[in-house]
Amino acid sequence: MLNKLALRNAKRSIKDYMIYLITVTLSFSFIFAFNLISFSKDVLNLSSMMVNFKYSMYFVNGLIIFVICFLINYTTKFIFKKRSKEFGTYLILGIKKKQITSLFTRENIILGSCSFVLSIPLGYLFSMIMSYIMMTIFELPKLIKINITIRALGLTFLYFLLIYFIVLLLLRKRFKKLKIHDLLYLERKNEKRRKQSIVTSCLFLCFFLAIGFYALFVFDKQFAGINVEPSMVKIFQSILMIIISIYGTTLTIPNILIYLVLKSKKIKYHQDNLFVVRLFSSKIKTMSFTLGTLTVLITLTLVALNISSLFKGMFEYQIKQNAPYDISINVINTENVAKYLAKIEEDYTIKDQYIHHSYQDSQNNIRKKLENDVYLWHQQDIVIKLSDYNKLMALKNEKPLELRDDEYLINCSKEACEKIKESNMTSFETKKGTFLTLKEITNQGFDYNITGFSYFAVLKDEYVEEIIIDTFLTVNTLEKTKEQFAETLASMEDSENCRLEDNYYICYTSSKIAVKGKEEANNKSFMTITSFICFYIAFIFTAVVGTILAILALSESCEYKYRYTVLKRLGYKESDCYKSIRKQLLLFFLFPLIIPCLVSFTTIHSMNKLFQIVLTSNNEYFHYFLASFLLFLAIYSLYLITTYFGYKKNIEE
Amino acid sequence: MEQILKLNHVKKYYGDKSGLITKAVNGISFEIEPQEFVAIMGSSGSGKTTLLNCMATIDTVTSGQILIGEKDITTLKESEIADFRRKELGFIFQDFNLLDTLTIEENIALSLIINHENPEKIEDLVKELAIKLGIESILNKFPYEVSGGQKQRCACARALINQPKIILADEPTGALDSKSARMLLETMALMNQELNSTILMVTHDAFSASFCKRVMFLKDGKIFSEIYKGEKSRKEFFHEILDVLTLLGGDVDLVK
Repeated sequence: MLNKLALRNAKRSIKDYMIYLITVTLSFSFIFAFNLISFSKDVLNLSSMMVNFKYSMYFVNGLIIFVICFLINYTTKFIFKKRSKEFGTYLILGIKKKQITSLFTRENIILGSCSFVLSIPLGYLFSMIMSYIMMTIFELPKLIKINITIRALGLTFLYFLLIYFIVLLLLRKRFKKLKIHDLLYLERKNEKRRKQSIVTSCLFLCFFLAIGFYALFVFDKQFAGINVEPSMVKIFQSILMIIISIYGTTLTIPNILIYLVLKSKKIKYHQDNLFVVRLFSSKIKTMSFTLGTLTVLITLTLVALNISSLFKGMFEYQIKQNAPYDISINVINTENVAKYLAKIEEDYTIKDQYIHHSYQDSQNNIRKKLENDVYLWHQQDIVIKLSDYNKLMALKNEKPLELRDDEYLINCSKEACEKIKESNMTSFETKKGTFLTLKEITNQGFDYNITGFSYFAVLKDEYVEEIIIDTFLTVNTLEKTKEQFAETLASMEDSENCRLEDNYYICYTSSKIAVKGKEEANNKSFMTITSFICFYIAFIFTAVVGTILAILALSESCEYKYRYTVLKRLGYKESDCYKSIRKQLLLFFLFPLIIPCLVSFTTIHSMNKLFQIVLTSNNEYFHYFLASFLLFLAIYSLYLITTYFGYKKNIEE
Repeated sequence: MEQILKLNHVKKYYGDKSGLITKAVNGISFEIEPQEFVAIMGSSGSGKTTLLNCMATIDTVTSGQILIGEKDITTLKESEIADFRRKELGFIFQDFNLLDTLTIEENIALSLIINHENPEKIEDLVKELAIKLGIESILNKFPYEVSGGQKQRCACARALINQPKIILADEPTGALDSKSARMLLETMALMNQELNSTILMVTHDAFSASFCKRVMFLKDGKIFSEIYKGEKSRKEFFHEILDVLTLLGGDVDLVK
């Protein structure tokens, strides 16, 4: 009888159960998707290469379990609250509490199992879609394969058991403590008024902010520069402090917000401010812990995206430095140029080709200043003609350089640039005795490995002495170059210098060949996988955060529909109601975004100190930050919009 | 005197799938003048709540006219209804309908905020009214911290603060104990006499109705009878109401 009754009641509250089912299913599919990626072969290889990476994954895994556990507990509580009156009635009718507890537990287990089963294909689909999107972004076909592994499946199941064990334990505890009266009036119970004076709140806020800033400071110290080895212990310590600070700040802010709004009559009584802020602060008060957790997750998402961008940027910079053109060859024997071109045309369509030389500066203007530093590989300073330089720039689709009659430019690798800047290089004396002033020192991605020198000067053609040092052939092809083509070109070198060894041509020659395809293949593995994983984590977290926020807002819309009914009866227009909802949701979604925005910016700023040497420019990180933030915002807004329409629908019903 | 509310042959029929028609309100006409305190009584199912909902623009009529002031509210457009409610009507409900996240003071102020009252004035207006209704000491509390009677008086204040043409009350004492109910009714009588508000109350409780100046009895969707208090004492009027109810028959709550 009881079973029948319970089943019928469960049917009646199907809508609430749908929320429950969707939450739990999505949660487990996120876990499963995450496990799939963290147990894919490439990631496991990466983990064995990098101990820190492995620990980071453990940390992330632990966090995800914690959050999901929290979320499921929240939804169970939600259902419990919804059906509290019914349970109270059963108790009044004389049904034992034990029976009711076991009934609800059974119900939860059945629903949970259904969700788990549903979440496996969903999680797989989810991971497929995400990796497809990312492969497209990273232009990496088949780099990371996602297969369903027993390990991933098993671990997800383990998590499921663990999470449900905890959730049901908490549920039983809740049941044990409750009396009939509580059950009957649970729906009417309101949050306790937490009385905390504004001074205390401010003090707490300052305290937590101080912890946060100190943590950011410690974090920053770890990335003092390329020569300083970051201490992982300190980094984790600062992360922990940041997390504490986030929770603390989230807990104290609503009190201050309310105080500020209520203080000024103008703000308080302006439009629907009072209504919106009161609702918002009561929401934060009852679930400040959830919001704190969400804020932490968003922070991690943004930081992961930033790290992903940094690694991606590093990869791109490496390519740009080592192979700015599809093919570049330092030609020893100028007669070979035609042969090279013919060979290239066999496999590819040539889009652009250009031959240029490097010339000697017999005055050794730069060398004199540098005083035989280690960076000097050549006996003489090297000069490139402005016309050649600009042609090469054009091949890279970059702006041409303009020089006045009395100007010159120095182009150098990052390391060499530092030395040159230190040397206070200013004027350049040409062979004919003209003094040129330095226009700028730039680091415009020329292939320093190929050219064999780490700096060169660019002069107007008429100042260049016609002493040729090297000849270069630069080719851009229509098709993407392949990794093996470097070997093909190398094998064309004077064959007496090459021999076949273990299927590889080993050539002893001073000619240097760079093929973009090969550089890309060389750099892909470590950097891109790291970048990819960070991106994946970011996506999962965004999905988790978005789902949680949406569910919180939607369950609230079901629960507190009457608020809008009251407002309407007081003569509040429907359109005004929607405006209030929009404001509320916007606050609700944007509030947990403020701290992450700050933290992710300062952390990428710190990390940039380490990365800037391998990035195109020192301020590149700012673009990465913006791009990551906008990407996150785009997905986040989708959730916000969907939630808004769902909310509206719930109110209208 | 110009009437505040005028009903002309108002009908509200409900039909179900089998073609059975329920005549909830079946051709009711009456007028209410300014500063009146009127009760509509009737047993369950007599159509009193339907009638009130029609007057409150919560429900639509099948035919007939409802004039509040000069306006026929049955012809109002959806967009005008909200404005009309905001400016001309005040509501008191059985279950208070206070917002739990706002303090008592803020709940009362809500009406003014919606009406775009000058922020500088709002607090003073609320305080002034709260003193009159004897709830000034609980202004900073939340609804769940005060008693039912206090909540309902807060609802009264909210309905009154806009100075609406008419206040519509739906079983306002329904969720209150007898002592709180008496206090509330005294408050409403005070609102009517000293603050000059016009109140229309729907109730099935004779005790509540005895505080009014006029009582209309509804049966099967029609007005069955109507009595005025005139110079009678409240007790006399109460007994008169009971007499009519006895005539009326049905399951009317005669207690108290």
